[in-house]
Amino acid sequence: MNGEPLICLRDVRKTFDLGGAAVRALDGVDLDIRRGEYVGIMGPSGSGKTTLMDILGFLSRPTGGSYDFEGRRVESLADDELAALRGERVGFIFQTFNLLPRLSAIENAELPLLYRRVSRRQRRARAEAMLRQVGLEARLYHKPNELSGGERQRVAIARALINQPSVVLADEPTGALDSATGEAILELIEALYRGGQTIVMVTHDTRIAARVQRVIRLRDGRVEG
Amino acid sequence: MLYATILEALTTLRTHRRWAALTTFGIVWGTASVVLLVGWGVGVHHLVERGLQKVGKNLVYVMAGRVGEELSPADERRQLHLEMDDVEAVRQSARHIDRISADIVNWFSVRRGATLRAVNVRGVEPSMRDLRGVAVAAGRFLNADDLRFQRRVAILGTMARERLFGPRPVLGQSFSIQGQRFTVIGVLDPVGTQLSRDGAPIDEQIWIPATTAMLINQNNWVHKLVVRPTSREMDRPMQREVRKVLAERLHVSPSDEEAVFIVSMIDILSGFDTIFKALQTFLFLMAVTTLAIGGIGVMNMMLVAVNERRREIGVRLAVGARRRQVVTQFLAETLVITLAGGFTGLGLGLLGCALLDMLPHEVIPAPVVIPAVAYAAIAVTTIVGVAAGVAPAWSAARVDPAESLRTP
Repeated sequence: MNGEPLICLRDVRKTFDLGGAAVRALDGVDLDIRRGEYVGIMGPSGSGKTTLMDILGFLSRPTGGSYDFEGRRVESLADDELAALRGERVGFIFQTFNLLPRLSAIENAELPLLYRRVSRRQRRARAEAMLRQVGLEARLYHKPNELSGGERQRVAIARALINQPSVVLADEPTGALDSATGEAILELIEALYRGGQTIVMVTHDTRIAARVQRVIRLRDGRVEG
Repeated sequence: MLYATILEALTTLRTHRRWAALTTFGIVWGTASVVLLVGWGVGVHHLVERGLQKVGKNLVYVMAGRVGEELSPADERRQLHLEMDDVEAVRQSARHIDRISADIVNWFSVRRGATLRAVNVRGVEPSMRDLRGVAVAAGRFLNADDLRFQRRVAILGTMARERLFGPRPVLGQSFSIQGQRFTVIGVLDPVGTQLSRDGAPIDEQIWIPATTAMLINQNNWVHKLVVRPTSREMDRPMQREVRKVLAERLHVSPSDEEAVFIVSMIDILSGFDTIFKALQTFLFLMAVTTLAIGGIGVMNMMLVAVNERRREIGVRLAVGARRRQVVTQFLAETLVITLAGGFTGLGLGLLGCALLDMLPHEVIPAPVVIPAVAYAAIAVTTIVGVAAGVAPAWSAARVDPAESLRTP
């Protein structure tokens, strides 16, 4: 399994139309990611990191070029198929956690299962196991505002992992955390990587970038070097 | 999923508590008014109809007049009279008649002891009790023998009895009509306020056998036939039959509406029906308009909720929700909120009807709850809910997850 191609981008472009002015967020990106890799994406702000992550996670479609995911041509997939891919094949981790404030930790973690018609009992069991894995067994029924930043990010990680995704897409996962908490989250992510999980992580912290397996640098919508 | 949707809807209500109360109030009030206003309208209708029917249900009065102007020179216009044989002929030959009675209408002087009064004394047949729909409170009603032997017996309306005898027992007591001695054999139940009448109110009348009335009048004239068709729909056919039979016997043209003069209570009731249908439609539309305005309030609230929940929509899309599911969720939430308001309003409307029902019905007519109106109210609420849900759902469907997830 590990080592086989997972993601393959060829000449991917993304243009935004901002009030008549076309902005080229991605301007011909080639990128290959294999299973089991731990890839860091770096670049100054505005270089297209986030746009690239959105395309990798099927949150937006490229305007040009080709994207193969697990051997499937993404451009040819319907919206509903992309929704299924988002729910089942990728897990997102965001800088701002993006938990639903009115749901408890366990309800947040089980959210991806809700759209896969998994029975309530199974959802609960898997969410609980996942939260246990990230060290939150004592916080199952707390709401996000009753949790610390680190704990919130752990809930988000549990949510990202609950469908055993092919790839975890982390967009500055430690950006909103103090350094000690950030370090703990980073260690958790690295543990996932050692367990065989493919991870793509956006960061602008060179110390973090030094710890990933491979760094891809973006500048003006292109891969550098 | 449905359970989760209801929970979400309730949370939306909770987080916008005051606003939600104000906007769903529109729905609550709208639905309550549909039930209350229409129920009240029907209540008024029933009250009026009952009042009109107190003189007797679906009655048709047949009288003889003069030969029509265009059929005879004015100075030769005969005054026509009906007699008992004519009543019999109609009774025998008309198929659409349920009941028929002769009615001999007189104002006679009635005396008991020192009390002397002019009273509306009616010469009737036994069938008159059913025609007028009045029960006998005490004693018995007139029977065939009373008519055959022209007995001097009388039935008193409650007011007539009160005025002649006061609180004293009356059965078997005697009094005089036009100087002739009569015995009281029965007293009628109170009829109450009549919205229509022929002569004095029934409560003030005295009924005697039709044949005895002829004896006092010293002629065989029957002033009026009181008839009821077998059904409301048979009113017209029955009138034609009666007219035909009487025209032949009186030697007048069947088309002479002055010679045989017919007044139908059913016609009058139909006129009222039209008015009340229009009133009810008006009230229903008023209430529905309130409901629609309430719907706009709910739509507004949901639009704001969508805006506040852009991030949530983004999260749901990111974890695998299809856009359709997000749209459905918002539609369903709006629907749950509107229907919650609708059923609350329905409950309040029914409660209001029950409360109004407890007030004296002379002041406020008892509202009538028609199930169809309740269903209509809920149906309209559902339509309003869907209509109010479309715009917010559409707005939710257009949320760009990539953007909403990155908003700090």
